[in-house]
Amino acid sequence: MQSSTKRMGIMTDVHRRFLQLLMTHGVLEEWDMKRLQRHCYKVHDRHATVDKLEDFINNINSVLESLYIEIKRGVTEDDGRPIYALVNLATTSVSKMATDFAENELDLFRKALELIIDSETGFASSTNILNLVDQLKGKKMRKKEAEQVLQKFVQNKWLIEKEGEFTLHGRAILEMEQYIRETYPDAVKICNICHSLLIQGQSCETCGIRMHLPCVAKYFQSNAEPRCPHCNDYWPHEIPEVFDPEKERESGISKSNKKSLRSRQH
Amino acid sequence: MSEQSKDLSDPNFAAEAPSSEVHSSPGVPEGVPPSETLAEPQSPPLGPTAAPQAAQPPQVPSDEGDPKALQQAAEEGRAHQAPSAAQPGPAPPAPAQLVQKAHELMWYVLVKDQKKMIIWFPDMVKDVIGSYKKWCRSILRRTSLILARVFGLHLRLTSLHTMEFALVKALEPEELDRVALSNRMPMTGLLLMILSLIYVKGRGARESAVWNVLRILGLRPWKKHSTFGDVRKLITEEFVQQNYLKYQRVPYVEPPEYEFFWGSRASREITKLQIMEFLARVFKKDPQAWPSRYREALEEARALREANPTAHCPRSSVSED
Repeated sequence: MQSSTKRMGIMTDVHRRFLQLLMTHGVLEEWDMKRLQRHCYKVHDRHATVDKLEDFINNINSVLESLYIEIKRGVTEDDGRPIYALVNLATTSVSKMATDFAENELDLFRKALELIIDSETGFASSTNILNLVDQLKGKKMRKKEAEQVLQKFVQNKWLIEKEGEFTLHGRAILEMEQYIRETYPDAVKICNICHSLLIQGQSCETCGIRMHLPCVAKYFQSNAEPRCPHCNDYWPHEIPEVFDPEKERESGISKSNKKSLRSRQH
Repeated sequence: MSEQSKDLSDPNFAAEAPSSEVHSSPGVPEGVPPSETLAEPQSPPLGPTAAPQAAQPPQVPSDEGDPKALQQAAEEGRAHQAPSAAQPGPAPPAPAQLVQKAHELMWYVLVKDQKKMIIWFPDMVKDVIGSYKKWCRSILRRTSLILARVFGLHLRLTSLHTMEFALVKALEPEELDRVALSNRMPMTGLLLMILSLIYVKGRGARESAVWNVLRILGLRPWKKHSTFGDVRKLITEEFVQQNYLKYQRVPYVEPPEYEFFWGSRASREITKLQIMEFLARVFKKDPQAWPSRYREALEEARALREANPTAHCPRSSVSED
């Protein structure tokens, strides 16, 4: 609130209901955000024009600012879908998880997180994670138990599982990026285009710079001869499609069936 | 943290009343900042939690639930913990720190509620408030104010006896049926199916009957589901733990059989009318197709409206027993 011209936003019941619902869902995709927004207007302010989502969110964020929380926007790493979550800026750790996981479960997550960050592909195999159960803090955990805890993380949208391997869910990246960058400053990978944390992506085989798949898609869009932005060498990987929400709705592909564009491209 | 400058604006923020129905109910508990939990190995909270509480809590008018009794109860609870080194009479903290605590508490309460966990006063003290226990009432008051103004939620003491709090929505819960029917919140849909089955039957629903219904959705007790996981565990353990369902053995029946009832939380959060609307949509019938149930639902709706003529929340404040 340094600038004198910056006015604090006004909270109405539309915004309050929206915040409640966002909090209930944890993380939402852009389409759901718009649907929810329309619903909140319908309930409380039928005749008002619905704000553009970006303005709506900025308005709410200006009120949340003094509370050190914000509605943060991110993009899924595998297929570029915009996602949103209510994030606590004040704490620099996994505070949201801390309330319902036991000490040894949190430590398991930390171990998985480290393996994911250190890996080349952004994925850690189930086997490698489970081999670390003996090193966990707190109560002793058996491998069978650890498997179930990993599933709990998947259900709560902290991890994604693909073919027996685990990576971070978009939500985890959204909420924990700051914490991860501060805790593992040497191991983290950064995208050459957007300069955010990178877990999954493509890398140049010559100079080693990395880019998110959606960043690759946007950067090389309609470019017949994609070249590395850093060393100008020919970019050897398949260029994914830019995420188009309209196209997706029309084709009626449900989210759960949609195959991600992820392939090992390192 | 550069929150100091923001705190000065905070009283203004709290004073800014953008819209009408904001009731501030002072919440109470305190807790340790959750940031402690993962960032460092489980280290003890900021201040010794067992600091002897010689001084009185700050003189503020107490509203709900007699916070003094709560504090005494909490102190008794804490007397059993191994006391760490006692602080010499704690100095009053800067307003900025109290505000920060209030923000931490707000987040803590929101997350607990999101995960459908119990908000327990001693936990709040242990996890967030810690050494600021003396000022827990003012911290709580500020937290409640923020929750009401920004989120439209009331932090209510639901049971003085068990020292439990709940976040009650101050706004009409219209979203429930809509959200349940889209697959954005599949758990709610599943839960509503079971609750409506119980409701329509008018008594407990045997586990076999519930599985007959769930079979329609393609759910089987032995099959893992892509969204729900272990469905049986979900409905017999998790929903029960969250007080949405009760799962009890049917008396005098051999071999043992179990039945489901509405849990206390379901009774609190879900109205009969919502169930009727849910049924109507799922079966594409008019709610009047279940005439006696519909009558009951209307009765309940009327009773709730009469109990709360001005408040927007159809669920009146929960009894403090």
